[in-house]
Amino acid sequence: MSQRHKLRAAVLLLAGIQSLILFAGFFAPYNSTAQDRQLPFAPPTRLHFFDAQRKFHARPFIYGLKSDAVNVGAYAVNTDRPFSIELFVHGAPYRIAGLFQARIHFFGVEAPGKVFLLGSDGYGRDQLSRFLYGGQISLLAGLIAAALSVCLGILLGGLAGFYGGWLDNALMRGAELFLALPWLYLLFAVRAVLPLHITQSQVFLLLVAVMGLVGWARPARLIRGVVLSAKERNFVLAARGFGASDRYLLFRHVLPQTSGVVLTQIALLIPQFVLAEVTLTFLGLGVGEPLASWGSLLSSLQQYSVLSSYWWMFLPAVLLVPLFLAYYKAADALQERFKSVSL
Amino acid sequence: MARASLSMWASSAFLLALFVAITCPQALAGEDLMVTENPLGRSGGRIVIGLRSEPKTLNPVLAADDTSRDVIRCMTADLIHISRETLKTESALAKSWNVSRDGKQYTLHLRQGLHFSDGQPMNADDVLFTFRIYLDEKNHSPQRDLLVIGGKPVDVRKVDEYTVRFNLAQPYAAAERIFDGLAILPAHLLEGTYQGGGFAHLWSLTTPASQFAGLGPFRLKEYVPGQRVILEKNPFYWKKDRAGNRLPYLDEIVFLFVPSEDAQVVRFEAGDTDVLSRFSADNFAVLEKQQTARGYHLYDLGAGLEYNFLFFNLNDLSAKGRPEIAKKQAWFQDLRFRQAVSAAVDRDSIIRLVYQGRATPLWGNVTPGNKLWIDTVIPHPAQSLDQARQLLQSSGFSFKDDGSLVDPHGMPVEFSILSSSSNAQRSKIATLIQDDLGKLGMNVHVVSLEFRAMVDRLLNTYDYEAAVMGLVSGDADPTPEMNVWLSSGETHLWHPEQAKPATAWEAEIDRLMQQQMVTLDYAKRKHLYDRVQEIIAENVPVICLASPNILVAARDRVGNFRPAILDPYALWNIEQLYLH
Amino acid sequence: MAMKYICRRLVHATLLLVAISILSFALLQLSPGDYFDAMRMNPQISAQTIDGIRSEYGLDRPFVVRYEHWLVSVLKGQLGFSIAYNSAVGPLIWVRARNTLLLTSTATLLAWFLAMPVGMWSAKKRGTWGDRACGVATSALLTVPDLLLFLCLLLLAVRTGWFPAGGMMSEGAAPLGFWSKAKDVAFHLLLPCIGLALTIVPMLVRHIRSAMIEALESPFIRAARGHGIPETRVLYRYALPVAANPLISLMGFSVGTMLSASVLVEVILSWPGLGPLLVEGIFARDVYVVIGVVMLSSGFLVAGNLLADLLLLANDPRVRVE
Repeated sequence: MSQRHKLRAAVLLLAGIQSLILFAGFFAPYNSTAQDRQLPFAPPTRLHFFDAQRKFHARPFIYGLKSDAVNVGAYAVNTDRPFSIELFVHGAPYRIAGLFQARIHFFGVEAPGKVFLLGSDGYGRDQLSRFLYGGQISLLAGLIAAALSVCLGILLGGLAGFYGGWLDNALMRGAELFLALPWLYLLFAVRAVLPLHITQSQVFLLLVAVMGLVGWARPARLIRGVVLSAKERNFVLAARGFGASDRYLLFRHVLPQTSGVVLTQIALLIPQFVLAEVTLTFLGLGVGEPLASWGSLLSSLQQYSVLSSYWWMFLPAVLLVPLFLAYYKAADALQERFKSVSL
Repeated sequence: MARASLSMWASSAFLLALFVAITCPQALAGEDLMVTENPLGRSGGRIVIGLRSEPKTLNPVLAADDTSRDVIRCMTADLIHISRETLKTESALAKSWNVSRDGKQYTLHLRQGLHFSDGQPMNADDVLFTFRIYLDEKNHSPQRDLLVIGGKPVDVRKVDEYTVRFNLAQPYAAAERIFDGLAILPAHLLEGTYQGGGFAHLWSLTTPASQFAGLGPFRLKEYVPGQRVILEKNPFYWKKDRAGNRLPYLDEIVFLFVPSEDAQVVRFEAGDTDVLSRFSADNFAVLEKQQTARGYHLYDLGAGLEYNFLFFNLNDLSAKGRPEIAKKQAWFQDLRFRQAVSAAVDRDSIIRLVYQGRATPLWGNVTPGNKLWIDTVIPHPAQSLDQARQLLQSSGFSFKDDGSLVDPHGMPVEFSILSSSSNAQRSKIATLIQDDLGKLGMNVHVVSLEFRAMVDRLLNTYDYEAAVMGLVSGDADPTPEMNVWLSSGETHLWHPEQAKPATAWEAEIDRLMQQQMVTLDYAKRKHLYDRVQEIIAENVPVICLASPNILVAARDRVGNFRPAILDPYALWNIEQLYLH
Repeated sequence: MAMKYICRRLVHATLLLVAISILSFALLQLSPGDYFDAMRMNPQISAQTIDGIRSEYGLDRPFVVRYEHWLVSVLKGQLGFSIAYNSAVGPLIWVRARNTLLLTSTATLLAWFLAMPVGMWSAKKRGTWGDRACGVATSALLTVPDLLLFLCLLLLAVRTGWFPAGGMMSEGAAPLGFWSKAKDVAFHLLLPCIGLALTIVPMLVRHIRSAMIEALESPFIRAARGHGIPETRVLYRYALPVAANPLISLMGFSVGTMLSASVLVEVILSWPGLGPLLVEGIFARDVYVVIGVVMLSSGFLVAGNLLADLLLLANDPRVRVE
């Protein structure tokens, strides 16, 4: 496949997944916070096409679950009443992009049936819905943090590379400092200082800001490297000879050279920051209950009992793999495309 | 002739001693050993026990954390011990004691002829020395406060070589129970260093084993930093079984450092450890499946003494200047608001979802595990959102069209609940409560903070709105927990260290608690304490939620394993454990 | 000339370490609560006693005074005093640092040992299904959070019994001879080593692969092939030395992260290294222990960077000219 096609395929895949997540309200059968206290840790609902009489139904259906009164967590399938999967059902209200309210969901079952395609968590909340809603937070965090990081990286790396001398030295030592501290554990300390009245969205923004600010070191070094070599190029020297100001040189000639590195870095950093958000929330530092994020979905796996008894709690981690693969493919494709240009 | 009789005396005395030594191989001459009633076991073997963290010190006077205390308890003994099975006091190093009529004087008669683990004899001088050290303010012992009764430290005097007299400033109902856990120290080893002022560095983890001496069933053998502590049998231990065999049965105990509960469960399942003490209900379900296959047994002992609760910030914030929280305190201080919250909480779901059914719902601060002191008359209403709504409306709150709750001034009801991030169960409880209160139209956030940061907010800065906490009483008796219920107490969580009681019911609780502290008759004390429990249940300064069951496990080959609901749950009778 | 460079870098390194120490001290000071706050929840201990203990440890003195004391203690080699362990921090750290180094060095060697051939092969077979499969595998490994990976390994150990579930030595191993002990330790080392190596391998493979690809595409390789030099010789003798440039900095980074990479693994698999010490210290607010460990890891990091730069200097003549 040619470079352009590879890039296009990766971007299309990414766009597909992102739109699923963007319209989580529509694609998810339930809200991310709806608890069902009778069905904690319910296994993924099995779709049946053949009923008890071996008759084939074109429309798949599910059975309800009966919880065992004695053993909490043990379920028996209740074959009395099948619930068929309906498309475009009326469900819990949700907001599209925070503005329009709607009630139609892509699929669902009639109450009191519950369809948990990825199982349910300890409070009986649907994992699939939480995965889609959680993606909104995690992906957005990754995107913003990556953008912040790269912007800072361009600013500081560009300045360091362009001017050199003590500025370069100072910034590079600063970068080393940032890379050396064990941020994770000191973040615990900082979280504790934050005032109580911080709302969920503020926590989220803070998390993102911290990640972005901490992560500027690596892109800055790379960009500095490119700027160092770019500023010696002939056309830049020529422009300088013509009396161009530093700012003009920087913005018009040098920085555009870094576009390849910048784009590749963004494509690589987004999954890294998403993973960082996952790890931070996993360890208790991110968005709090009851908001869903991919980190909070996986955090219950920290307990040995969940890890060993409820295999479906791993599924969100499994689902992340194709998403990140798409990002890495895009990064590879971008690298190839810009490689041929920059020589 | 005289010389011959002298040598005859000498040789017959020698023969007598030899005779005694041969026929009573288990007891040195003159030892007054305590006879225990346990089923007989066989000597030998070692067991491995997991510890949640490393012990910080082996000095009983300075140890403040649970892990150090667990290890120290195996190496030391006390004068009067609280039996973990009956929750009553029993004799230990003190064979018997008399109480004066006014209850202010306790005369303890020590067992005679006992020896420390290094072979040196024990007598009243050691007891005196021990209490001098505990009471010395310069040592800052965490146990010193236990010995300050009526504002004055206990006065300890020696009567004779095996009798010690304790004088208290006022009668104290729980006086006998103070002695539990106060380890008797060897004066012969420690006096010199103590006089020289170097006590703080004594008996740390780096001290060689030969410099320890205690009266416990085991003595230190080896400490490997970061990995394990090994204790070996104390050949001079002062207990024996009915057949006359000196306890302990086991040769060695190994305490393995396993840093988290999940890791402990894993190692127990894998067979690395023999006893698992106090684990959570989720892990019970996991371990249950492999019981017979892997040769261990699980025990669910029912409710312990831990109680988990939700409480609100009722502090006087004028000095601290927290206007936002102060505004919300108008709700928190409204009794009907708190009662509504208590009515709205779904305790059944907490029991089922958080503790897999292995817990007891609570409406008062004393759990059913504390049979001696629980007030069974306190009402146990089921969850009722209607009742909660009624209570709120009668107090001036109202519901908007979208269901959200506003106070009489029109401010939407919104607050945060703190929970400790290191305790998964309490965080889950907070999330469930958040959902329950959401049905009442309250907008509740759960803020998960690390334990010390949370304590700082609760007791120093008062920068919180509501919190989910739990307390475990160290003892069934109400007196050790007084500081939680006295309005002037430092752990009076919702409003600590009051100069004078802020409300009439808190003043009443103060009065009742002070009175039960000095009343010696159990029935009268129970009556007083029942009233305290009723006041707490009526005024709900703390909304009690649940008490988790005590869950322990041991390998089948460990004999005489009789876990109890009071700490140390699995190892209180460690001298009686043996291997099949 | 090289000496001047080294001296300059050493001065930078020292300044950096001082900056880190001040920063960590300040950050820990900022976080609310201290070691003795846990005792405040105990109704049987009075606040007075706690304050007394606190002042004995000097926790109520101002920031500058405490920093000064700590600095003096560092120069004496004690690295401060641990409140929790009631002893100097230095001895606590050295033993555990040795265990951590054992783990990380073995894991790094294993990772490089695995990653080099895979990366090189993947670069050679670029574009084929084998390369793509490698890509998928490394991406999959990269996406899984480390914590999850270690937990799964733990589960594997318990369920199958093939590996010990934690710790560094078995119970009965202590009195045995040197070789038996070494074998026992090696057996316990397996699982954490594999876990740690698995977290290092994916990034390594990607870097090696891209470095090799870049090297293989340069004109002189084409010339070498044109001369008829066999493919394996081209790979090892011509491409690898050129690709070594970024790989050397990577190796320097590996050395640098030797003390910090294994924190999670040690906590989950109960390996008695610096990890559990650090984590416990943070939660217990045992300030000097935390700072001691942080400083040691930072020291390694800075040394690793320096090493990488020096190796680069030695290996690549182009850098020397700058």
